[in-house]
Amino acid sequence: MAPVPSLPKKSLGKVLVIGGCGFLGHHIVSLLVTSSSTTSSQISVLDLHTTRNRRPESDNVAYFDGDITTLSSILPIFEKVKPDVVIHTASPTLAGGSKAMYQKVNVEGTKCVIEACQKTGVTALVYTSSASVISDNSSDLINADERWPVIPPKAQTEYYSQTKAEAEALVLAANRAPASPKLLTVSIRPATIFGPSDVQLIPAMINVYRNGQTGFQLGDNQNLFDFTYVENVAHGHLLAARALSATSQLNIKPLDHERVDGEAFFITNDSPVYFWDFARMVWKACGSTLGTEHVWVIGKDAGLALGGLLEWGFWLVGRTPKLTRRQVRYSSMTRYYDISKAKKLLGYAPIVGLQEGIERAVGWFMEEAKKEEEKKGQ
Amino acid sequence: MGLLSQLLYYSFHPNQLRSILQWKLWHEPVHTRDPAKESATLKECFKYLNMTSRSFSAVIQELNPELLVPVALFYLILRGLDTIEDDMTIPLEKKEPLLRDFYNIIEKDGWTFNGNGPNEKDRDLLVHFDAIITEFKLVKPAYQAIIKDITKKMGDGMADYANNAEHNINGVNTVEDYELYCHYVAGLVGDGLTRLFVEGGFANPALLKRPELAEAMGQFLQKTNIIRDIKEDIDDKRRFWPKEIWSKHVDKFEDLFDPKNLDAALACSSEMVLNSLRHADECLFYMAGIKDQSVFNFVAIPQSMAIATLELVFRNPKIFERNVKITKGDACELMTLSTQNLRSVCEVFQRYARRIHKKNTPKDPNFLQISMACAKIEQFIESLYPTQDPKALSLMHGTGEPDERQKKDKKAKEESASEIFYLLLAVVGTLLVISSLMVGAAWIAGARFDIAISELTNGKFFPPTDPASISAVVRQHDHGEL
Repeated sequence: MAPVPSLPKKSLGKVLVIGGCGFLGHHIVSLLVTSSSTTSSQISVLDLHTTRNRRPESDNVAYFDGDITTLSSILPIFEKVKPDVVIHTASPTLAGGSKAMYQKVNVEGTKCVIEACQKTGVTALVYTSSASVISDNSSDLINADERWPVIPPKAQTEYYSQTKAEAEALVLAANRAPASPKLLTVSIRPATIFGPSDVQLIPAMINVYRNGQTGFQLGDNQNLFDFTYVENVAHGHLLAARALSATSQLNIKPLDHERVDGEAFFITNDSPVYFWDFARMVWKACGSTLGTEHVWVIGKDAGLALGGLLEWGFWLVGRTPKLTRRQVRYSSMTRYYDISKAKKLLGYAPIVGLQEGIERAVGWFMEEAKKEEEKKGQ
Repeated sequence: MGLLSQLLYYSFHPNQLRSILQWKLWHEPVHTRDPAKESATLKECFKYLNMTSRSFSAVIQELNPELLVPVALFYLILRGLDTIEDDMTIPLEKKEPLLRDFYNIIEKDGWTFNGNGPNEKDRDLLVHFDAIITEFKLVKPAYQAIIKDITKKMGDGMADYANNAEHNINGVNTVEDYELYCHYVAGLVGDGLTRLFVEGGFANPALLKRPELAEAMGQFLQKTNIIRDIKEDIDDKRRFWPKEIWSKHVDKFEDLFDPKNLDAALACSSEMVLNSLRHADECLFYMAGIKDQSVFNFVAIPQSMAIATLELVFRNPKIFERNVKITKGDACELMTLSTQNLRSVCEVFQRYARRIHKKNTPKDPNFLQISMACAKIEQFIESLYPTQDPKALSLMHGTGEPDERQKKDKKAKEESASEIFYLLLAVVGTLLVISSLMVGAAWIAGARFDIAISELTNGKFFPPTDPASISAVVRQHDHGEL
């Protein structure tokens, strides 16, 4: 097959990655450093704490501590770095924040970032949104694309997603806004990211394996689900940044059907799989040799009833059970996307396949566990 | 199966019997061949078609009359070529020129061939090949050119393989070789048929711009048959599974048939199934380009059979012991579903993709890849026939731009509200006019409204009844005038 025509190798200029020490953020920084197709004259990172996930000194990445929820904290950094491109990935994780925190970081923080961009002449802002902005967390999403409506606050049951949607709207509204017509913005909506140093999906699945609980299946496993390897998400961000850079150098506004600025894009691995098949592949990568003969299938309705009962029972004693209704819903829900728009307008195609992604991610966690063991042994 | 065992079988499998009856009773061919109008040589051609083809002869004979004869002759010509290639009793130096020149032979009046070995089952076809040549020359020149072109390409491909000693001893080596072989024996047929369909105006010409779709149609059928026929082929000393695949699982090809290697053999067959399954979405795409019902049936029936066969052979240890086949009932059901429209064929593909997914096991080295391939079929079908409508979802959430109809509805509502207002105004107005007329008439007739009002304000709601108090009231009010 002929190679996919790639955009000419272009420098993004000075790039600032906000949240560049986080899970996705540091993968974006790594890809910026190693990518042969995208170059940059200077890479800087702004994060609340810049002690973890740092690149080695030799890579010349500049690290700045700053809090995006106060403009005065980040404006001096923007003024010093003078970025051309800002990639904003900072957000509390889906499981790790309080309502107030989501509001503060995702909405207020993003407002500050936009303002800082507008005040310092940034030309491109790439925002990490979430594919969950169109999910109400109980209805299926079947081959959904960007035409699907963002769930309004009154129907959104996940506060995290609500604040991501709000922030995304702010970012997209800032595209060619009067405050700074030069600033172009784009929003990337990745679906269920996983990979090395992942803090949610893979560790949870590995735990299930370690606890010997692979013998349960909630729902009939006919539900397709998109899981996206982190490097592919990083790749999507860089493609979007390149597209914005290229657009900013045009004298005229691009046609609507080829416009990237002011648009949102879903990014996946472009290969949905049956939900439990993904989990089983993770367990297989961990070393499981089991088939499915030992699996006990709990139907969705039975699972919901059971989860509900457990939740009540544990609530009485003030704890959270291992099986919750939320888990049942998630693991029996269909949720996959059609990413034709990103393929067509960004030239996106995943660079790491699903199986390789799983193997890399699990391998990383195994390595980490080994290191821990060694530390303990000393 | 004896009659008794059949009776027993169908009494425990009533669904199978139902499917068979349904097909036999309700299937109405779009077109039927009319032997009365056929020449003697054409009748002979159809005799050989029935003789040489198990699965294709029925569907060919229901084709649109425009394509019926060209397609039947195309089949017979390729069958003739195949009969020469297959026959190991013909020496190579005789076989090769025959294969390479076959595209000219089909134009030589009176050509026949009786050099096939006595055991060659289709030898009669070549013995009487002059009938086919006679009819071929009567076909429209445009169709002749297509058939001739494919015959040349296939003959050359077969001659290359016949010449290839490596191939004859060791079978197919790489996956690339395997796909090239399938291209010669099936992909080319897909190409030729597509050109015939487009020439006749029965398929979207865009199919010619996407040759990989026709190729996929052929590859999918051929690969599936190769997987199914593994036992039959090894018994005939033929090997089509590529070494590149089987060597990952066993050391020697024959080891696949040793029951103690069953796990490895199943893993190997899964990889073969995966390799075939990857064509499924392109096959559906191809079928979306067919415009004629009889042509659709002709292409869709074998495809549905193939996906069902693929499910049957997937992780099925029996393929290494004997030739497995889908049941007659299933075949009839598939034919019923494949002679309707693309949507019902998509349902067949989705059903079997899900069954393959269900049989898939993490023990399989290609577990995730198979899962992804099944999912890809489902996603492709979803792109053809979406279940969700973003517009409806937007309306449900009250987001997004209201569309024209909504705006109209809103306007109509506003309009009807003002209509009701004017209606009420008219009613109230009429009442007012009538009341004032009545009051006016009463006043002219001498009604004392002044007395009535003051009495009412004094809290006396009922008029006095005795004459004395009545005159008292009147006197009280009129006394100023006295």
